[in-house]
Amino acid sequence: MDLLSKLEQNGARKCVACGRCTFACPASQIGGEFSPRGLVERMILEDKIPPEKEIWLCMTCKQCTQICQFGVSFHELVREVRPTLLTSLPPEENHGGIPRVLERLSAVRKIRPSRQRWITSGIDIDQSSDTLFYVGCTPYFDVIFRYLRQDLLEMPRSAIRLLNACGIAPRVLMHERCCGHDSYWLGDVETFQRLAFLNVEALERSGVREILTFCPECMITWKQLYPKMVGKLSFDVRSVTEVVAKAIEEGILRLERNEEVYTFQDPCRLGRHSGVYEPPRQLIRSIGRLVEMPRSREMAACCGNSSFVNCNAMTRQWQLQRGKEALASGADRLLTACPKCLIHLTCGLAEGWVSMERRSIRIDDLYVIAASRLSKKA
Amino acid sequence: MENSPLPSHNFQDREGSWNPKVVAFCCNWCAYAGADLAGMTRRQCSTNVRIVRVMCSGRVSPGMILRALISGADGVMVLGCHPGDCHYRGGNFHAQNRVTMVKELLALAGIEPSRVLLRWVSASEGDLFVQTVNDFVANLHRLGPLGGSDGSAV
Repeated sequence: MDLLSKLEQNGARKCVACGRCTFACPASQIGGEFSPRGLVERMILEDKIPPEKEIWLCMTCKQCTQICQFGVSFHELVREVRPTLLTSLPPEENHGGIPRVLERLSAVRKIRPSRQRWITSGIDIDQSSDTLFYVGCTPYFDVIFRYLRQDLLEMPRSAIRLLNACGIAPRVLMHERCCGHDSYWLGDVETFQRLAFLNVEALERSGVREILTFCPECMITWKQLYPKMVGKLSFDVRSVTEVVAKAIEEGILRLERNEEVYTFQDPCRLGRHSGVYEPPRQLIRSIGRLVEMPRSREMAACCGNSSFVNCNAMTRQWQLQRGKEALASGADRLLTACPKCLIHLTCGLAEGWVSMERRSIRIDDLYVIAASRLSKKA
Repeated sequence: MENSPLPSHNFQDREGSWNPKVVAFCCNWCAYAGADLAGMTRRQCSTNVRIVRVMCSGRVSPGMILRALISGADGVMVLGCHPGDCHYRGGNFHAQNRVTMVKELLALAGIEPSRVLLRWVSASEGDLFVQTVNDFVANLHRLGPLGGSDGSAV
């Protein structure tokens, strides 16, 4: 696709250069050189893709597109520019590039991942069910980020416990591959295409009607990105929060309440990218009191990193800012519903945060906390 | 290394009889000198190994091992000093932790963990170097190429 159609397709010609996007952009706010408005301006004026490393600072959190009054899809434009710069001006990969290499390894057909070791006793799985639970990369993260958090595998386990309590015993894939979300946003189209075809192929003949994910990234990949690549899919995709919130509403599921005060970090893939704002909040209200941070829902601040690239002192600064905000809200716990938000915030706030104003706040996963409140009788 | 262009899948160049490709990260003070000794004393050693000299086995990150695998290596060896002999006091223990982590990741990813090997080889152990390499290559011959026998399936 040429430059002109990239601009047209994402509505960039309608940009009036008001600068709201740059004002809202986390990468600009923390002092990075990246600016969504600047990118569009330079692409139009110079008639070429600006060869700048700053393109990798974008966290694709969609804040810019959300705030734009003229309907410019800045985050999509960034994504479309990235493939052209991936080899000539690659991003700085963190963690030695491990997450990316694992994604690319799982795009090799003959290598069949077997990541189901997280399944422990006490969770019901039914391999003949027409509902699939898609786990995603959390088993890998458990190995890579064990030094940060030991409870990462509790996320899928808790999500399944919640589903079990709603009367759903889902199926899991024995040789599940990555969804390819990070490849897509980093512009590695080839790997993403391979994964899209391999994943859809693995599911099409299996009789699965619905996919449930606890990771918001897997959710948008199955719901929005795969249909773009391979056409309409024969199954629905929902987040576990949606299922659980519905069950609470219908009275199927009861969770024990206590007096703890929570605040919620909207994962960008769950909130702005999919519009799921209310279900996680319903879930939190059923287990305790919810207080909102000033930047929440559509205006939720990003967790500070995306796709494990360009993590630096500035993203740390951003996470610290978010931490202060959560602390000021008066909550005891900051809950999030995305393994990556959990990892990035835990990492960014491991130092410095606890000593502030002699108060501290814990970061935890929504599913883990909710599953710990399942009534014993139910 | 971090900024080099991303290598692409390179499973193609395997027509005819397949021979495993091995990347060996050798510590400058022990294993590399051991390999040197093996050469000087004219030991017969499998030629599948590409040696990368690093100052310490603790320099080898999990990312480096995984990148070697995705770039076409069938197996990766990390060879360092015996415990207690590290030139930098404890680099080989870091290596041990990291290789354990990589093996765990490989098991999840569906790749045989025995494709990655960590061994302690001192500067005087030329024979051990040859032995380790030959055994490792023989094991790779048993396992076959990483990602299947032909590149077309990738």
